[in-house]
Amino acid sequence: MSIPTLYIVVQFLRGPGESWAHFAQYLLPIYLRNSLYLLLACGVLTILIGVGTAWISTRYEFPLRRSLEWLLILPLAIPSYITAFAYAGVFDYGGSLELLARGLGLEMPKLDIMNIYGLIFILSVSLYPYVYVACRAFFMHQSQNLLEAAQVLGDSERRSFFRLILPISRPAIVGGVVLVAMEVLNDYGAAKYYGINTFTTGIFKSWLDYQEPITAVYLAALLLVIIFGLLLWEQLQQGRKRYTSGTKDRKRLVRIRPRSTRRCFFTLLVALPVILGFIIPVAQLIYWAFLAFDVINWSDIFTMVWHSLTIATLAAACCVCFAVALLFTSQWNHLRSINKLAKFGVLGYAIPGAVIAVGVYVPSLFFEKWLIGVVKTTFSFKIGLFLTGTTVALVYAYMVRFLAVAHNPIAAGKQKIQATLSEASQSLGKNPVATFFKIELPLLRTALLSAFILVFIDVMKELPLTLILKPFYLKTLAVEAYQYASDERVIESAFPALMIILTGVLPVIFLNRLVRQD
Amino acid sequence: MLLEINQLTKTFDAGRVKALAGVSLQLAAGKIYSILGESGSGKTTLARLIAGLERADEGSITLGGSLISSIATHLPPEKRPIGFVFQSYALFPHLSVQQNIAYGITTLSNWQERVEEMLQLVELKGYGKRYPHELSGGQQQRVAVARAMARNPELLILDEPFSNLDSTLRIGLRDELFKILQRTGVTAVFITHNAEDALAISDEIIVLLEGQLLQQAAPQELYQQPATPYVAQLFARLLPLSKKVLEAFSFEPASDKKYFLREHDFRINQTADYQSTATVRQMTFMGKYYLLTLDIGGQFLQIQVPQPVPEEEVTLAWSAVDLLVF
Repeated sequence: MSIPTLYIVVQFLRGPGESWAHFAQYLLPIYLRNSLYLLLACGVLTILIGVGTAWISTRYEFPLRRSLEWLLILPLAIPSYITAFAYAGVFDYGGSLELLARGLGLEMPKLDIMNIYGLIFILSVSLYPYVYVACRAFFMHQSQNLLEAAQVLGDSERRSFFRLILPISRPAIVGGVVLVAMEVLNDYGAAKYYGINTFTTGIFKSWLDYQEPITAVYLAALLLVIIFGLLLWEQLQQGRKRYTSGTKDRKRLVRIRPRSTRRCFFTLLVALPVILGFIIPVAQLIYWAFLAFDVINWSDIFTMVWHSLTIATLAAACCVCFAVALLFTSQWNHLRSINKLAKFGVLGYAIPGAVIAVGVYVPSLFFEKWLIGVVKTTFSFKIGLFLTGTTVALVYAYMVRFLAVAHNPIAAGKQKIQATLSEASQSLGKNPVATFFKIELPLLRTALLSAFILVFIDVMKELPLTLILKPFYLKTLAVEAYQYASDERVIESAFPALMIILTGVLPVIFLNRLVRQD
Repeated sequence: MLLEINQLTKTFDAGRVKALAGVSLQLAAGKIYSILGESGSGKTTLARLIAGLERADEGSITLGGSLISSIATHLPPEKRPIGFVFQSYALFPHLSVQQNIAYGITTLSNWQERVEEMLQLVELKGYGKRYPHELSGGQQQRVAVARAMARNPELLILDEPFSNLDSTLRIGLRDELFKILQRTGVTAVFITHNAEDALAISDEIIVLLEGQLLQQAAPQELYQQPATPYVAQLFARLLPLSKKVLEAFSFEPASDKKYFLREHDFRINQTADYQSTATVRQMTFMGKYYLLTLDIGGQFLQIQVPQPVPEEEVTLAWSAVDLLVF
C-alpha cells in the first residue's frame, strides 16, 4: 500500500525533469500561492460554518433542529466539482439566478463566480461537514458540569463558548479542518473548471499536456511535503495539554430553549449551509435534468451506472477485506511491526488522488514492461499490458487511497468487542481462525457494512485518480459528469451527477438507521 | 496432583512490570480453590497463564501429568481441557443461551442433550432461546458457568465471579454457584480479592501478594496459622503490639519477633492468660460498633466493641493461643 508514496519519495530524491526549470520559474509560485490561499480561506470558512452549526445544534433547541442535524451532513454527498458546475450554472449569463430575477421583474447585477473566491465558496460549502461532524461529536460528549463551572466563575453563555468550549474543542476542530485541507488539496475538478491553477491541476498539466511524468512526480512530492507538514501540525498542536476531563460522572449538555425570535434566527442560520451546500446545487441539477431529458442517451447512463456500481463495489470489498486482514493478522501474530505497517498503510487517505495515480501508474508500467520482457525472452510468449489501463491498477489505487476509510470504522468496531469474547471462544476450544469467523466477524457486522458503504461512496465520487488510471472502456458517473461539464455540455452532466448524489445520500440514510439500531 | 505449577514467572511492559515472580503450587483433583489477593497481586495473570491466554516467561505448568506450558511449550487455550468463566461473563451477544452453551461442543454427537443437561444443572431450563441481554446478571453468570462446564473440563477457573454484585446478591449467588460446583465435582479455582468469599467456598486458599505466593492452606489453617502478617490481616483487623504494651500484660517479648492480635481477640473485663488494666481515653459511637481508645502504660490502642463501656478503667485480656508471632 505504501509503494506509490515510496516511489514518489524516491523519484523526488533523484531530481526533476527537463521542464522543471520552466515550472519552477513560472508556474510553481502560482500553484503555491493559490493552494495556500485556498487552504487558508477554506480552513477559516469551514471552521466558522462547521463549529457554529455544531454548537448551535447541540446547545440550543429550535424548530427543525432534528432534521437539520443530519441535513447538515448532506453536502458531503455531492462531490465539490459537481457543486462547482451547478453554481456556475446558477450565476452564469442567462443562468438560473438571472432567469429567476427576470421572472420577478428584477435586475440582477452580473456576479462572476468562476474565480478563486468562487472556488473558496464552493469548497467551503461542500466541505464544512467535516468540521461539523467532528465538532458535533465532541460537543455531544462535553460535560454540562464544565459549562456550569465556567458560569459560576462569572462567564456568560457567550463568553464561556469563546473562553472554554472553543479552546477545548481544538483537537476536534483541527481533526476536521485537516480533512478539509486534504480534500482542498485533492480537488481537481472544481479548480480546473474555475480555471484556478493548484498543485493538483499542475500535476495533471505536466502529466497530460507536457507529457512529462517526472515533473508530475516532482510536484506530487512537493504536495506530499505540504500534506506531511499538515499531519505533523495536527500531531504537535495538542502538546502537553489535555482536552478531556478525567471525570466519569459526565452530565450531558442541557439544551437551551431561547426566545422565539432567536429560535427562528437559529433555524435560518443552521439551514443556510444546507441550502448553499446541498439544496441549491441539487435544485440546479434537477432543473438541468428536466431540460436534458430528451437528449439523454439512456443506454450511456445505464452503462455508467453499471460501471460505477461494479467498480465501487469491487474496490469497497477489496478495501474492507484488506483492512480486516491488516487488523486481525497483527492481532494473531502478536507482531508490533505489523501494527506499525498498518499505520503506514492507511496514510493513503492523506495523499491526493492525483499523487497516488502517478505513484501507481509509473511503477506499474515499469513492472509490467519488465515482466513482459522476462516472459518474452524466457517463454517466447507475448503478453499484453495487464496492470496499467486495466481495472487492476485502478482498484489497487483506490485501495491505497481509501484503505483508511475502511480501516477506521472496523478498528473502532473491533475495539468495542471485548477481548474476553475472543478469549472465551478460545477457552471453549475454537482456534483463532474459527473464533474470527464465529465471533468477531458477526459482531463486526455493522462496522464492516459502514466501512463498505463509506468506501463505496468515496469511490463513486472520486475523480482525479479515476481520470488518470481508468481503462479506456470504463465510463464512471464521476468521470462522465466531469467530461460533459468540461465539454460545455453541462446540462447533460446533470443526470450522472444526480446519480452520484443519490448513491451518496441513500447509503448515508441507511447507515444512520443501522447505527441507531445497533 | 491435577495441576502442578513450577516457578512460574511473567512480566509485562518489556520486563518492567513483574506480574508473577516464581510461583509454585499444586492443586488436587475434585477440590475447590481460591486464589486470593488484592489488585495487582498477579492472581488474574496466574489464572490466564493456567488457561493459556498468556504465555509464561519462565516456569512450567503440568495438567493431569502432561506439560501444557513451559518456555518451549505452549498448548493454545483451545486445546487445554480448562473452562474459564470471565469476570464480565463474556457471553456472545449475538448467540442465544442455547447457542452460547453449545458453542464449544458442536462437534459432539449428543450436543443438544448436553446443552439441556447444562441448562438443568444451572436451573435455567426454558431459557435456551433467550439472548444474553434478556437475562439478569445472576442468570448470565450461570449461563457462563454452564457454557464452560459443557465441555466437561478437568479444571474450571472463575475470574472474580462476584465482583460486580452487591453484598446481598453476592451471598445468594455464591451459595448457588457452590452448589452447582459440588454437584459436578469439578476442580475449580476462584479468583477473588474478597477474603470472605474465599473462606466461604474453598477447600484451600492460595494467597498472592505482589506476584509471590505467600501461603497455600485450608481456610482454618490459614486463619489460625497465617504465614505472614499480610495473610493474617486478610480476615480481621490486626493490631501490632509494641514491646511496652506486651510488658504491661506481663509478657516478655523476644527482640527479633513481631507480635499481633486480631482485634476481636481482646476481651474486656474478662479473665484470660494475659491481662492488664487500661484507661478509656475516648469512646466514639460509629453506628454498628463503638471505637474505644485505650491507654495501656502510655501506649494507645484502638479497638472496636459492640456495647458502650461506662467505666473509666477496664481490664483488657487475651489468650496465648490467639497471639500471632512472626
